[in-house]
Amino acid sequence: MRNPTLTLLSIFLVLAATLSACGTAALEPTIVPESDASTSSEETLSGVISISGAFALYPMMTVWADEFHKLHPDVEFDVQGGGAGKGMTDTITGAVDIGMISRSIKPEEEAQNIFWVSVTKDAVFPIVSSENPVADQILAKGISQEIFAKIYITGEITTWGEVIGDPAITDEIHVFTRSDASGAAEQWAKFSGGKAQEDLKGIGVNGEPAILDTVIKDPLAIGYGNLNSIFDLSNGNMVSGIIIPPIDIDNNGKADAIEIYKVKEDAFSAVANETYPSPPARFENLATLGKPEGLTLAFIEWILTDGQQYLESAGFVPLTPEQQAEALAKLK
Amino acid sequence: MKQIHHISTPQPIKKTAGRLIRPAVAPRTRQDNFARRTFLSFTLLPVFLILIVTIALLVRSWPILNAYPLRDLLFGDVWKPTNGQFGFWPFILGTFWVTAVGVILAVPPCLLVSIYLAEYAHARTRSVAKPVLDLLAAIPPVVYGVWGLLAIVPFVDKVLAPLSDHWLGSVSIFAVNQPTGFGILAAGIVLAVMIAPLIISVMYEIFSTVPNDLRHASLAVGATQWQTIRNIILPQVAPGILAAIVLGASRALGETIAVLMVVGNVPQVPASIFDSAYPLPALIANNYGEMMSIPLYDAALLSAALVLLVVILIFNILSMLVLQRILRQKWDS
Repeated sequence: MRNPTLTLLSIFLVLAATLSACGTAALEPTIVPESDASTSSEETLSGVISISGAFALYPMMTVWADEFHKLHPDVEFDVQGGGAGKGMTDTITGAVDIGMISRSIKPEEEAQNIFWVSVTKDAVFPIVSSENPVADQILAKGISQEIFAKIYITGEITTWGEVIGDPAITDEIHVFTRSDASGAAEQWAKFSGGKAQEDLKGIGVNGEPAILDTVIKDPLAIGYGNLNSIFDLSNGNMVSGIIIPPIDIDNNGKADAIEIYKVKEDAFSAVANETYPSPPARFENLATLGKPEGLTLAFIEWILTDGQQYLESAGFVPLTPEQQAEALAKLK
Repeated sequence: MKQIHHISTPQPIKKTAGRLIRPAVAPRTRQDNFARRTFLSFTLLPVFLILIVTIALLVRSWPILNAYPLRDLLFGDVWKPTNGQFGFWPFILGTFWVTAVGVILAVPPCLLVSIYLAEYAHARTRSVAKPVLDLLAAIPPVVYGVWGLLAIVPFVDKVLAPLSDHWLGSVSIFAVNQPTGFGILAAGIVLAVMIAPLIISVMYEIFSTVPNDLRHASLAVGATQWQTIRNIILPQVAPGILAAIVLGASRALGETIAVLMVVGNVPQVPASIFDSAYPLPALIANNYGEMMSIPLYDAALLSAALVLLVVILIFNILSMLVLQRILRQKWDS
């Protein structure tokens, strides 16, 4: 130990080992009450609920966890992101109590004893740069589902001129998609006439912020993003540098007033009253291994009832009363 | 305990006279044996680990290896797991393109730097340059990835792509087909910077294995330093240089996050360095979480991991063999 670097290093290692041992030791007692929680009466809710899954639902879940913790101080939460796939894997293996799934549940997953319930609505919107050379025409005409399919699935349309029907414009479309497996990408694929994320053409960038950033920087880019990432939730304005090309839902060749979303409220009400097509609007789901019980059940029931009031400010669309009743009935 | 008993009481030895007496083993000798065996088992652990990882991957990827002929998996060029098409060819090619571009960009400057450090540099310069290079190696890959996203991708898009399109556009591997900046070249540049410290430090070690007698003899007959390097030293270390390159390549093959942030992740057979590609590690990292929902997807991803592991093992073993031979020569001399 004459070498000071070595001495330092070994001290550090010993410290690290001790600290990590402390960490597990400190965690254990808090995990134990969880099993008791399912048997104890509802008045004294206590224990730990571990949750992982979709990044899309993550910000909402942290709000729910905070609010629920205020009501029941003995309930602790361990909320992690990781993506819908991770949430599903963790739920199936029992690593977490609740998985946040931002896509529909697959039959293969239901076959593995997965129970799920929809808790909120969200939507994926196409985005292009506000510097796009044909931005005005896009805003006036809209883009039909068929054209999105030709951009994203078949790759037949490669220039912005073809999008707006002006062959003189030969600017190439820079198509961007998510490289990481995500619910948003799957919804977008379904809307564009594909089945799964792998059907989407385009350059794959990693994560929602990266795709948004790329579209802001590249005038010829097209991408897609979740409702709550393309609007500034504090003031309801769109993130600067992007526009939402109106989806020409009725295929009349022009963007109607209800198809144009400039502020959060427009997009929000379009999703809530279902004028915005689904997909790319989608239900966000919570999955559990088997029907939830005890603490987990109490938490999910609370989300479906009192918890709905926190959705709007976080950029999510509450369930309609019918959808709410349906979800609660499913839990029984 | 029995043996200690034997030592302390002389009678039993008399009794056993005529038979072979086992020599007494002192406690410290046993301690020594115990220590040696323990250390040995820990030393063997990595060997077993490689075996276990390989076997585990083989077992987990068996369903897909069983369901599809190996040739369809390795050389099929369509990747649509939901349709049951599992072609690894775009990913294997993507891995090699990205690695090749990274290595080609990294090797010439690395060679120059290591020659300078080993042959020309003042001891003081060396004592500054070496730690800085080590520091470069310590930067986390994700930081390189962010740097690639913010600096290299726009640089490729705005500067390199137009230049290449103008001067080399007719050569297919320099053609700009997907002008976004995301692609093999961006990934190659990021990789080149990431593997440079490793290559330089191995090359530097190789250069320092050349006996000083050779340098002195060459300089004594009037050769310049550059002549000495070119005619005496470089021929001596050529296999070692190759091994350093292969070692750098195997590091590049496995690099995941920094590459996947800038490479574009399009499962296609690339034709140009400006095309997007989808290397094997990126495939695994992007999709591993989604694996269980589609039958065989899990097996497909794990067999991708197996392919990667085998390729990297081959690269590493080759370079290790060469390096070991060179270092042994050094000790012998």
